[in-house]
Amino acid sequence: MEQLILATSECDLTQQTVCAPADVKELFEYRIPIIEIAGFPITRTFVLIILAGLIAVALMYFGLRRKRAVPGRFQTAIEGLVGFVKDEVAIGIIGPDGVKYFPYLLSLFMFILIANMFEITPFVNFPITSRMALPASLAALTWMIFIAAGFKRQGFRYVADIIWPPGVPTALKPLVGVIEFVSTFLVRPFSLAVRLFANMVAGHVMLTLLLTTAFVSIVTIGEIGITKGLFGFAWWLLGLAIFLFEIVVILLQAYIFTLLSAVYIETSINPAH
Amino acid sequence: MEALKGAIALIGYGLAAIGPGVGIGIIAGNAVQAMARQPEAAGMVRTTMFLGIAFTEALALIGFVLFFLA
Repeated sequence: MEQLILATSECDLTQQTVCAPADVKELFEYRIPIIEIAGFPITRTFVLIILAGLIAVALMYFGLRRKRAVPGRFQTAIEGLVGFVKDEVAIGIIGPDGVKYFPYLLSLFMFILIANMFEITPFVNFPITSRMALPASLAALTWMIFIAAGFKRQGFRYVADIIWPPGVPTALKPLVGVIEFVSTFLVRPFSLAVRLFANMVAGHVMLTLLLTTAFVSIVTIGEIGITKGLFGFAWWLLGLAIFLFEIVVILLQAYIFTLLSAVYIETSINPAH
Repeated sequence: MEALKGAIALIGYGLAAIGPGVGIGIIAGNAVQAMARQPEAAGMVRTTMFLGIAFTEALALIGFVLFFLA
């Protein structure tokens, strides 16, 4: 809620209809630490990252601790999630070799899912993946893994095939090689990180603007009059609709990040493509 | 010029959204067609559709990020 109120600091509803903060950057650069330990500030983001990791581990542990022949609801849900990542993503995309990368893909999926879920969790309302540092480091991890997988499987030929691609007319090889090199080693991690980041920021900003405007105009309905108050009610309904839409975005973005990680690993271990 | 910066960035984001918008429409439309023609291949088509959407959408999202950076 603190995060939400922050955006309304410059809001004057007698002038504006939507509470846009004067500087939208303050939505992302909230650096006030909760507590400081030995000069190391512990911020909200930090706490939530640890929490997301713990929740992911706890879900797996309690879901699959005692496997029963007739699974309960909770176990069925967790098994469905694990089976989905294993069958659809790891084995479905990478093939039989995918079993080796399945633990990484599953932890990626669970962590991103829970990190995104904080966006619609009441009283948290803040997706930690909307801080660029988090998607960027996850993308860097995927980047290192697919390059390592490529080197392990193909040796030096992995890079050689990218900068001097076989099956391309010789005159075009330098051009195609440069494009392939840039798109494989630079654009891939960048777009992977930016996709997750921008989706979560967009959702967070939309929810913040709509719900704070609704909150402020319903609270101050006495000052701004009934007409503008009704606008606030409309913003609130739209905000709730966006809330439902964001659930879809959250699931989809966690899935797409995992899927693309799998696709990148696949292209570096199966050179035939 | 300084006062116009935000407005120009907004227009830039709008322009960046045109191409991916058309592209995602084409991808989703063709995926629906493929699923209607061959419902048993729906799972595979859906995965490929999400992949295509993810790649196309990146362009719009880069525009969105540049809007904040500008």
